[in-house]
Parts: sequence; structure tokens; C-alpha cells
Amino acid sequence: MRDIHTTVLAAAMTVLPALAAADTDDGDSLIGADWDTIVAQARGGEVNFFLWGGSDDINRYVTEYVGGILADDYDITLNRVGLNDTAEAVNIVLGEAEAGIDDAGSVDMIWINGENFRTMKQADLAWCGYVDTLPNGALIDWDNPSIANDFGLPVDGCEVPWSTAQFAFATNTALVEDPPRSIAELIDWVADNPGQFTYPAPPDFNGAVFVRHVFYHAAGGPDRLLGDFDQATFDAVAAETWDILNAMEPDLWREGATYPQSLSAMEQLFANQEVALTFNYEPASVGVNIENGTFPPTARGYALTDGTIANTNYTVIPYNSPNKAAALVLQNVLLSVEAQIEKADPAVWGARPGIDFGRADAAAQAAFAAVGRHPDVVPVAELSANALPELQADWIAAIEQGWLDNVGN
Amino acid sequence: MRVALLLAPALSVIVVLFGGGMAVAVSRSVGWMPVIGLTDPSLAAYAVVFADPDFWASFALSLHIALTSTALAAVLAVASALLLRHSFAGRGIVAFLFQLNLTVPHLVGAIGILYLFSQSGAFARLAYQAGAIAVPGDFPALVFDPYAIGIIAQYVWKEAPFIGLIVLANLQSVGEDWEGVARSLGAGPWQRLRHVVLPMIGPGLVSACAIVFAFAFGAYEIPALLGASHPPAMPVAAYRAFTDVDLAQRPRAMAMSVVIAVVAGVAIWAYLRAARRA
Amino acid sequence: MTDGLWSRRMRLLGGLVLVTWLMLPLIPLGVWSVARGWFFPDLLPTAWTLEPWRYALSDVGGVPGSLGVTVGIAAGATLLALIVGVPAGRALGMHDFRGKRLVEIAILAPVIVPGIAVAMGLHAVFLRAGLTGSVWGVMLVHLVPVLPYVVLVMAGVFANHDPRLEDQARSLGAGPVAVWWHVTLPAILPGMAVAALFAFLVSWSQYILTLLIGGGRVVTLPLLLFNFATSGRNDIAGAIAVIYVLPGVVVLAVTARYLTGRGVALRGVAR
Repeated sequence: MRDIHTTVLAAAMTVLPALAAADTDDGDSLIGADWDTIVAQARGGEVNFFLWGGSDDINRYVTEYVGGILADDYDITLNRVGLNDTAEAVNIVLGEAEAGIDDAGSVDMIWINGENFRTMKQADLAWCGYVDTLPNGALIDWDNPSIANDFGLPVDGCEVPWSTAQFAFATNTALVEDPPRSIAELIDWVADNPGQFTYPAPPDFNGAVFVRHVFYHAAGGPDRLLGDFDQATFDAVAAETWDILNAMEPDLWREGATYPQSLSAMEQLFANQEVALTFNYEPASVGVNIENGTFPPTARGYALTDGTIANTNYTVIPYNSPNKAAALVLQNVLLSVEAQIEKADPAVWGARPGIDFGRADAAAQAAFAAVGRHPDVVPVAELSANALPELQADWIAAIEQGWLDNVGN
Repeated sequence: MRVALLLAPALSVIVVLFGGGMAVAVSRSVGWMPVIGLTDPSLAAYAVVFADPDFWASFALSLHIALTSTALAAVLAVASALLLRHSFAGRGIVAFLFQLNLTVPHLVGAIGILYLFSQSGAFARLAYQAGAIAVPGDFPALVFDPYAIGIIAQYVWKEAPFIGLIVLANLQSVGEDWEGVARSLGAGPWQRLRHVVLPMIGPGLVSACAIVFAFAFGAYEIPALLGASHPPAMPVAAYRAFTDVDLAQRPRAMAMSVVIAVVAGVAIWAYLRAARRA
Repeated sequence: MTDGLWSRRMRLLGGLVLVTWLMLPLIPLGVWSVARGWFFPDLLPTAWTLEPWRYALSDVGGVPGSLGVTVGIAAGATLLALIVGVPAGRALGMHDFRGKRLVEIAILAPVIVPGIAVAMGLHAVFLRAGLTGSVWGVMLVHLVPVLPYVVLVMAGVFANHDPRLEDQARSLGAGPVAVWWHVTLPAILPGMAVAALFAFLVSWSQYILTLLIGGGRVVTLPLLLFNFATSGRNDIAGAIAVIYVLPGVVVLAVTARYLTGRGVALRGVAR
């Protein structure tokens, strides 16, 4: 029974640390090593993968599909740890580093991007420099700036892409047949339709990116904002952004007295017609939610004419992971053509690949082209026609803090 | 002595785990932790926390939640205990449900309250079917609201049976002789309640209320689920500070937790005073 | 008597109101656990399904594993609490001694002081000891609220325990172990069962202690339930909530006769 297994494992790990078998915490020896050697070292071991656990589709994909490949082909046990918030995993590594636990960490891999990655990279908590060791690393297009930079911060080989995403809206066609299709239209629409819209309070991931869309709108587009942080530009654009959002506040759900604390909370409001519009970094989630009964069948995704922000999400291996060989094998599997195609299937998850299928063979490209799309999800081509870049991390932090100080109080 | 031997294991556990934990929290809040090189105790964290208007907003909110929940639960508990004192049709079911309520964890009750009271919850849908509202926004905000109505409802739902069973036990052990005497002297039911019943169950009632108050002030998961984003209840604010990636927030988180413990200490004092009178 | 505050008619009405009010929050949870597509303003779901239960009972969602971990931690904490708490209960219930007041306060404090302060303090210590993120660490920290309940209940049990039975056995030549096994234990066993079951319930419902010390690695049922409830999967949350309340109902069924009986159990009654 799994519970006995867990207890015994926990007992072993705390009482008999010396017997932790196949401990591959020494990262340097693995970089550039022969792949078969790495696989041999990882065989029979385990890997602890920490990721957001709020979607049973993702849980199923990771536990059953990915876990199945690891177990069947490599004899590695995948332990999926579901988080409420990725920052929890970063906190664990941070706490362990502070306590001097440098080779026996409890986290082997985190699904991560943005500010969480910045925290890890700046505190030297990420294991870097191993990407070329991965056979499937050749599928990554590091020349693409939106892959080579995570929210404007150069990746520098400290994390590996998993999926790409682009922010998209969704409407409940039962309430709003013709939704506003740009930020400018949205601002007017909210004023005309009070109580029908809201957004999660930053620092929620999706709430923060919505605020950044308003920021881009106030700046007349992202061009002025790309590149290093500039206080003068920020102050000018921010002032206008807070004016827009503060003016919008009385027309929001609950007159802006409270904001949903998470995207899930807002999606619940959407499902129950408390608000008419919703949005998500992951456009495929509209289809997923319709299929599992969380969203009404009248929901439909749509893109914005003035473009939405696109980004990449990654997996990172902490410097103190004791199972680095197994983590490398896991990353290789996640990058593989088969796993990426399976992940892109809207019946499974619908997430767009983080690898460049142009670098794969013809069979793989054909298989990927054959992956369907849920009818209520906005077509990828429509979104990517107007993909906006992310800003550098300093801009993002300043915008978040600015919102908390000027709008969210 | 033999008594010391009997007590030693339990007391050591409590001293080490509870005492040690509190001691570390207090010492971290004043920045004194020689183990990691902090040897400069100061009240800086407290100064920052007490100067922050958000802290006082959270404190006031938690105080409001605790006082209101305890008061309402106490009233409901006494009324229910008086009801359950004597038999009537269905008394067994009510008594059973009271006890069943004790075994339901707070989180489950909170989720149930959420499904009942939210603007698209069960009550709102009933209101819609009755024609009272047209859209969810018309239904009053009872969760995620500034008055913490949903949170208070959850605490009352869970703690009234707890206090009620204690009061009921007290009532049953005290008996009705005194009330009989008062009745024969011409006292009406309300007078008997005020001057005979309440003083007798008073100490037990106050003790139970002290426990409920401390819990309602310091519990995390219920306001985390049902509370508004701003201001957060004190335990939620403390947890957010503790898990902030900015490690400078940790002493402030400890300071807030110490404040929570101090408020609970006041509750302990009230409990002991009441128990002494029992 | 019907001349109290509650007249006979009012009693029935009051009883009815109480029954409804006590059951009310649990009903939507049960309905959600078999619902598919239940949106405002429908009073009943669009469709019925067992899918949430299928997910909850499968390995993918982690519910069975979490259930095992929660049971294991509660059982372990209860066992540890009984081992150290029964003797302490005897000392408090059967003896008077200098400093008894102080000991009572020490036992009481962990019950009243909210766990968040203690857990934050213990976190740093446990981190260095390698106990954070482990089942053992969580079990230890659960002892903080669990042990006092055991001591308080056992103190009440021992207060009603007659020491003369043991004196008699000893005077008949029985050694201390025999006295314990044949005289003391059978007499206190019912009370111990109540204490154990309440201890189990206290550990069962812990949230912030597990969250802080478990570090996201030890996912007990309440943590899993919270995650699903806040991520909008009301159907799965409903199924998990039903699973989560079941042991409490079992506890109640087993201890019902002890609970309505003497006040001794009520002094240590669990929240």
C-alpha cells in the first residue's frame, strides 16, 4: 500500500540518510557525460517533480503518461508533488540553502518561469550548464529570444523549456456574444457593463500579466518598454496605467472592493456567470474546462486585435537536488517529440510545445500537424499573429508593486 | 518522586516542542539567532509591524471575527443547551447532529459555507428561483467581504455545538433544583435564566468561549478560504509574510505570530480565572 | 417542564431549525461530488456523474496516498501521545502536588495558543534536523495540540479511578506489571479509547501545522482538499470532503455512548 511505502520511505530518508541509494547530487560529473552512463546511474532511482497541482488533466499527464515512460523505459519512480503555488517549491529550496543543505534537497525539479525563476537564478539556486548533455536538447531553439529569455532574464542554460503559452481571453457567449477585442475596447466595455469583469489581484500570475497588458496599452505598445528598466518611462506609463485601473475599479465585480485571489477563483466566477469574461495564459484550458464540466458549454476563447503577451514555461533543477541523473532523464523525456505531441493533444492538456518541431524529423512534424484543436479554443494561428514579448524582470516587479501600492489597497 | 516520573515524558514533549517552538519564534522575531549568526536583538521587526496600518487593519479584522463569532456561538449554544435539556420529539437526532458536528473538520464546514453563501451559491440560486435577484451580483456579498460574514458563519456553525455540549453537560450536572426554588418564589423564565442558570453555567461557558475565541483569532485555513483579499486576517497576513521570498519578511511574520500568541495568552488568562471560579 | 423558555411547540420548531442548520453546509458538498456542469442559477446539476469519485479514488489525484499519510500521521501522533500522556494524566488526576497549577497551565497552553506561532518557530529547528517535509516531522508537530487533549481526558478518567483496587491487588501479592495489566488497564481502557479517538480527530483536522512543517511535501487530506477547493474543482473537492469526514463519523459511532454519558469525556472534547 502506498501509505506504508510513504511512511517507510520517510523513515528511511530521515533515519538512514547514508543509505539513500543512487545519490547523484554531484552535478559537475554529469555535465557532458555519456548519456547511457547517466541513464545507468539514474536507473532504479526516483525523481521528485514539484509542479502546480490544480489541474487534474496535468496531474494525469504527468503521473500516468510521463511517469509511465519513466517507470517502463528507465525504471525510475516519478514522485509528482502538487503545489498550490510554485513559490512554495522555491521557498523549500531557499530554506534548505539557508540551512546549508547543499546536496540532499527534497526538490529535484520545478515547473517554473518568470519571477520564481528569477529568484532561483539570482540566488544561485538553479543547476546550470547541463542542457547540451540532453539528447533532446537539440530540439530547443535557443535562437528564439522568447525561449532564450524568461520574462526578459537570459536563461543561460539554467532551465529547459517545456511549453509555450500565449495569453487569451474567453467569453461566455450566453452573456456576451460579441466581446471587446482589444484592451481599449475592454476599458470602454467595462464602463458600459459594470460588475461583469474582474481580474485576479497581482502577484497572481495571470492577474499580473493582465495588468501588463493595460500597461502596454497605456504606453501605446511594448516598443518603448523592451530593454532595460527605465525609471522615467516607467513613471510616466505607470501613472496612466493606475489612472485607467482606478477609474475601472468601481465598475468591476464587487465594485473592486475585493479581487479574486487566484485565476481559479476568477474562473469560478466566470463559470457561475458572476463575471462574463475570463482569461488565461493557457488558451487550451477553455477546452479542457468545457470538457470536464467546469465551464459552461457556451464558453469560447478569443484573441485580441492589438495582441497578447506570449511566453515560455520551463523546468529547473535545483542545485541541491540529490537525483540529478534521474532529473536529466525526466527532462529529456519531457522534451521528447512523443511527450510534446501528447501534451499538445487537447484531450490530454492542449499545451503548445516548447521545442521546435522544425528541428525534428518529418514523421514527427506530420504527427504534430495532425494534432487537433478543441472547437471552442482560439486557433493558435490567430493568437501567434499578434504575439507580444514579455518585459524584463525589473519592469514586471515594478508594475506588480505599483499595482499593490496604487490600485489594490 | 513518583509523580515527577509520571509527568516527565509528557512535560518534556510539551516544553521542547511547544515551549521550544514559541521560544524560537520569539527570538527570531527580535532577530536573535546565534546559530545563523544573528546576535543583535532588536525590536525592529515589531516597530515595522506596528507602524504598518495594514497590520492594524488585519488585527482589527481578526479581533472582530473572534469576538463576534464567540458571542454569537455562545448565545446559540446556551439556547440550544436549554432546548436539549428536556426531551421532545426528535431530541435524539438533534443531539446526534450536535456531536456529529464536532467531528466535521473546520475546512469542510468552510467549503460548505462557501457553496451556500457565495453570490452564485445555493442561497443565491434559491433567491434567483424566487425572483428576488436577476444576476449573481444582486445577491449580498457574504463571502470575500469586508465584514467577514461567511467566516463568522462558519465559526458559529462549528463552535456553537462545541460550547453547547459543554453547557449542556454543566446544566445536567447542576440540576434544576435551584430553578425550582426560584420558580416557587415567583421568578419568571427570563429572570431564572439571568439570575440562576447563567451564573451556574458561567464558568464553564467562559472557559469554552476562551478556547473558541483563541481559535477564531488564530486559525489560518478558514480566512484563507473565505476571506477578502484586503485586509487579510492576521494568520493569513502572518503566513504570507513567512512564505515571502524576501527573507527580511520572516522576522515580521514571527512578530505577527507572537502577537497572535499573546492574544491567545489573554484568552488563557480568562479561562483560568473562570475555571478557578467553577 | 414546559414552563421554561422553550414551550413544547417551540421545542419542535427549534429542533427542526437546528437539524437543518447543522446539516446544511454538508449538503452542497455531497451534491457536488456527483455533479457535472452545475452552474448558476440551476438548483440541481445539469448531469450526474461518478467521475469525481473515480478521480478521487484513483492514484492520479493522490487522494488514496494522501488518505494513507493522514491516517498514518494521526495514528502515530495518537500512539505517541498515549504513551507519554496516560502517565501524565494519572499524575494530574490522582495526585495533588506542589506546582500542579503550573503543570495544568503548561498542559493547557498548547490547546489554546494557535498553532501558527509554534509551527513557524519549530520550522527553523526542524529544517536543520531534516524533519521538514517528512512524515515524522509532521507527526511530531501534531503532538503539540494532540498530547494535551490526551492528558486532559485521561486526567478526568483517573480522577474517577479508585486506587484501592490496585492497593488490594498489590496486597494480594501482584507485582507492578501484573497490577497494571490486570487491574489498571481494564479500568481505564474505555477512557483511553475516548482519548485516543479524540487525539486522532485533532491530528486529522490539522492544517497550518502540516502546511508549515510538511513544506508542501507531506500532503495530508485537508491540504489536498484546500487545493482542489481553491482551484475551482468543486466536484472533486466534494468527493474528497466526503472521504475526509468519514473517519469522524466512525469515531462518533464508536464513542457515542461515552460522549453522552459522563462529563469526564466532555472536558477534553475535540473541536
